[in-house]
Amino acid sequence: MPDLGERGHVMGPQPIAAIVQPPAEMLAAAEQLLNALMRGDHASVEAMTPAHVRDEMMAVAKAIPPNKYDKFELIGRARVAKHYFLKAQLTGRNAEPFKFQFRLGATDGKWTVREALNLTGRRSAWSR
Amino acid sequence: MEKCIPVDRLARPDNWVVLRSRQVREIREEQGLEGGRPMPFDEETLRSRLHGIYTGELQAMEAAGRTLFDFPDAPWEFQLDMARQVWDEARHSEIFQRLVEYMGGHPGDYVETEILWRCTQAMDPAARVAGINRGLEGLACDVFDQLIRIAQRNGDEVIERSVDYVLADEITHVRMGSKWMRKLTEGDPERLAKAQAFQDMVDEVFNFRGGRLAQEDIENDDGQVVSIAKEARMLAGFTEEEIQRLINSARKSAAY
Repeated sequence: MPDLGERGHVMGPQPIAAIVQPPAEMLAAAEQLLNALMRGDHASVEAMTPAHVRDEMMAVAKAIPPNKYDKFELIGRARVAKHYFLKAQLTGRNAEPFKFQFRLGATDGKWTVREALNLTGRRSAWSR
Repeated sequence: MEKCIPVDRLARPDNWVVLRSRQVREIREEQGLEGGRPMPFDEETLRSRLHGIYTGELQAMEAAGRTLFDFPDAPWEFQLDMARQVWDEARHSEIFQRLVEYMGGHPGDYVETEILWRCTQAMDPAARVAGINRGLEGLACDVFDQLIRIAQRNGDEVIERSVDYVLADEITHVRMGSKWMRKLTEGDPERLAKAQAFQDMVDEVFNFRGGRLAQEDIENDDGQVVSIAKEARMLAGFTEEEIQRLINSARKSAAY
């Protein structure tokens, strides 16, 4: 049987540049935020959120019942220059999965939330 | 026919993030970077630009497929051309996906914007091909012509040859658009004018704030501004008058 296109078998130019890894500090900040959200620790969430984003971040925080979720997964990560968009899904034994998207950016080495949107029941930040 | 399908109805893996172009510009500005004019010789910028073209090719494939679906009463040869274009754009998507990987990136590493898809929302097949095949594919001629020069300056034959291969197809897509825009509007000058107006609107979107200019209007060609590829456009069948009209419109946008 001829090889009809298994990508791993395709010959061609190999990567010439190193794969860009996301900053470990950004991932740590995301983990800190997600754990705070799952615990219902709104004070820690607020501490990571500048005033102009607080309303939208707290709308997401309030939609997450405390201690109902015990796992999170980062299902998407895309960037605009040095800001990272993350899509996260929270899961718990007796809860419907909760999906939301947020953007993290660093100022003076501190990663904070720049925008947040509940994606539960919708396809993207674009439309319902 | 359902009008104005939102961009997030397009099939994408769940890890992709789709945003408005305006929002991407604002986020860049928030980081102290000027709108859409990064330094093209920088490795990171090139990777991000290749990713942008990759998603553009995906949307071009979807746009041509949608045109095929939306106008079942159009001439059979028109449908054949659109089907051919879907095939071409699918290959282009794969080529640019491989170029993103060549530069150390992955599909979905950067956000996808809606701007190209937005330019496909016309209800008349003549306007549709004017906007997509003449407006967007004409833009592709400009962008690819410049990318080839950037690759030449970087001494990167892989990108240079890959993009040249794709550019040859884009030229045939523009020709296809010109042929069908004229054929579908034969004897109907009002319809032709509407199709051309739709194309002008698409061209205007990409001339925004002087983001595209004639080569002679660019003082230092550091690759930040997209230049209008006269030679490729002539090969694609644009008339000198049409190219001059685009140049004049680009000058007006830059002044604005």
